[in-house]
Amino acid sequence: MRHMLSAAVLAAVCAAPVAAEDFKWAGTTDPQTMDPHAVNSAPVLGFLNNVYEGLVRRGQDMSIEPALATSWEPIGDGEGWRFHLRDGVTFHDGSSFDAEDVLFSYERASNEVSDTRSWFAPVSEVKVVDSKTVDILTKAPNPIFPDSIANWMIVDKGWAEANNAALPDKENGNYATLNANGTGAFMVTEREPGLRTQLKPFGGWWDEATHNITVAEFTPIQNPATAVAALLSGEVDMINPVPIQDAARLQGQDGVQVIQGIEARVIMLGFAQESDVLKYGADAGKPNPFKDARVREAVSKAVNVDAILKTIMRGNAEPASQLVSPAMRGYSSANMDRPAYDVDGAKALLAEAGYADGFSFGLKCPNNRYLNDEAVCQAVTAMLAKVGIDAQLDAMPVSNYWPELRADNFDMYLLGWSPGTFDAEHPIRFLAHTPNSEKKLGSWNFGGYSNAKIDEMLPMIQSEIDDGKRQMMLDESAAILQAETAYVPMYVQPLVWGTRDNVSLTQRPDNFFILRWVNVQ
Amino acid sequence: MLTYVLKRVLQSALVLLVVGLVAFSMFRFVGDPIDNMLGQERTDADIARLRADLGLDQPFPVQYYKFLEKAVQGDFGVSFRQGRPVAEILVERAPATLELAAVSGFLAISIGIGLGVFTAIRKDGFLANMIMSVSLIGVSLPTFLIGILLIYLFSVELGWLPSFGRGEVTHIGWWSTGLLTSSGLKALILPSITLGLYQMTLIMRLVRSEMLEVLRQDYVRFARARGLKERTVNFRHALKNTLVPVITVTGLQLGSIIAFAIITETVFQWPGVGLLFINAIQFVDIPVMAAYLMLISVMFVGINLIVDLLYFAIDPRLRTDGKGAH
Repeated sequence: MRHMLSAAVLAAVCAAPVAAEDFKWAGTTDPQTMDPHAVNSAPVLGFLNNVYEGLVRRGQDMSIEPALATSWEPIGDGEGWRFHLRDGVTFHDGSSFDAEDVLFSYERASNEVSDTRSWFAPVSEVKVVDSKTVDILTKAPNPIFPDSIANWMIVDKGWAEANNAALPDKENGNYATLNANGTGAFMVTEREPGLRTQLKPFGGWWDEATHNITVAEFTPIQNPATAVAALLSGEVDMINPVPIQDAARLQGQDGVQVIQGIEARVIMLGFAQESDVLKYGADAGKPNPFKDARVREAVSKAVNVDAILKTIMRGNAEPASQLVSPAMRGYSSANMDRPAYDVDGAKALLAEAGYADGFSFGLKCPNNRYLNDEAVCQAVTAMLAKVGIDAQLDAMPVSNYWPELRADNFDMYLLGWSPGTFDAEHPIRFLAHTPNSEKKLGSWNFGGYSNAKIDEMLPMIQSEIDDGKRQMMLDESAAILQAETAYVPMYVQPLVWGTRDNVSLTQRPDNFFILRWVNVQ
Repeated sequence: MLTYVLKRVLQSALVLLVVGLVAFSMFRFVGDPIDNMLGQERTDADIARLRADLGLDQPFPVQYYKFLEKAVQGDFGVSFRQGRPVAEILVERAPATLELAAVSGFLAISIGIGLGVFTAIRKDGFLANMIMSVSLIGVSLPTFLIGILLIYLFSVELGWLPSFGRGEVTHIGWWSTGLLTSSGLKALILPSITLGLYQMTLIMRLVRSEMLEVLRQDYVRFARARGLKERTVNFRHALKNTLVPVITVTGLQLGSIIAFAIITETVFQWPGVGLLFINAIQFVDIPVMAAYLMLISVMFVGINLIVDLLYFAIDPRLRTDGKGAH
């Protein structure tokens, strides 16, 4: 019966658009595992979104839509959420999907050894009501819970247990590291880590396939020039990313097209706000000027974001006014203006704070984490010099960078933030709340920014059911962070992909490449 | 004899230990793998737990000792990035590098010697002078630039050869080879030229200067005077006597072909151990870096040891130690 069904689906797929196609694409990073709960990183989750599915998924416009759950509703007065599961869903190996798999995947993904467990911090219990109904109870009312689990992928209980992969094992690997068994539109048919991964459409997929791919193959290509050459020569159909400096040149070439968009990632400057003294530069050991909000505001006025976007980002990025981009839920339209570029204003603020003669400090910057990160820091250094403050730039590879930030070895630093939940609450939790390792809050607030009102509002934002009231609190938070210049948000990082011109696809701000939206003419 | 060999072997072992120690003391500067292994939503407790699990909280001499303890039993640990045994990954990747190095070496030797002889015989010919000037490019341009240039010419503009990867490979036991398929052979051309170009020009220039030297010798003049054919003189008498230094240099270059495959492999996305090493550095995958560096140093030390022992066999003067005087 199942085979007849899949044959019918296959026939429908083949009959639909044009003839079926091989599709090859390349990216810089190979997904390091096929286990959806082992590693919480964009290359892994983005890739596995083609293979595994969650209860909900994100559509082309990032909105939440039904996937393995057909509908969901809050339980009682914010005690949790009830999910109604889809009928007739099977995993790639043919076993059927039910509530036990959801419970199992919750236990697996929230286990101590899973990278994804922070997603389930608000959850108190998961209950199987019947084989097609699951209750997820939360410790406090949690209006955005369904939004926060789009990347929580469901694994087959029987398959995982039979293959000794009941828990992810990131350090030593297990069966699920190399093999996958999801419910998604594509199956992993061949996997050679670091070399190639082959996917084929899953004939028994519950949803109607709109792509026309018969075989898809992913190859990691680290060197950007090689990837561009592979695209130009037609050996691959799509590359991600295209180096910004090559985008304009590629745009003019026959046979290829450049697809540009805005990523969810906001690039900002952060300050040491806890430290009493400066640590670097000629004034090391002297009192720390960045404790003074006027000095931080002067920095934000001194940075000419438009010039950075025009020269370094070649016009591909958008200025940012707050910690999230306008595409995120909870973005504060009330605070959408960033301080204007104003050299005199910056100088006046510095004079007011008692630094009319400027000062010297250390700026830490990664050189291989964000697009053109080091060049941006060099530009910032030059712009700050114009208002009389002297930044000693120290750029380093990201593997050295995070340990430096964790050890508080900076006066000012560069940071990019992409909210995993696509909600404005996320950066408040990680970047703005006072660092508190016990409550697991403010874990990326390296500078130690602290504001009692923000700390007080965060739990209220997290549990507010009413959208209007929630937005008011988010607006207030954004206004506080802006008024105190907790950070200097500069721009939203661009996304630049390149494809052959016979390929149509959808580019989403989370930089996930979703194969089921690909069509090759 | 035996004491000499033992002494050399012990020295080699000591060199290996020192290389390992230096490598391990450097790993701290490569960075911290923890942030690469944990996601955005990690907590301080996660960081501490993982650091302890991986033994990264230990001082580096202790880490090194633990590595050695396992390495002598053939266990190189588990890759931080891939979560698979390093030995397994190295075995998977080694054929690609060895095949590339072998083809590059073959091209470098055959073309290098051929052109060397040609430029020596036609010392003042137009073509020979041209080859000599072009060969300057081979020694002066950096490998990655040559690779990119070749890719743009032969893959993008002409579309004849693939720009990346190994093409289709055939598996024979644990060995994978690209020599048996046409796409595999095509994929070998550009990387092997890129990798071997420096050695090719080196061998060519060496053969040329040695050959010019030899052609001036009396026995070559006598051979000519005897009325032997020019070809016989050039190849039988002259070339043979130029090859001794060439073989020495080529042997020593073999190690560097494998070691410097890193750059060529990165440019061509060639799935060998060099590319693996570059990825390991970016991710701070310490077990992979350690195993690679140890393997490369074993190879260099091994080649040097063999060369030393060969000298010993060839040169009787080395044998005149205390006991050898009989």
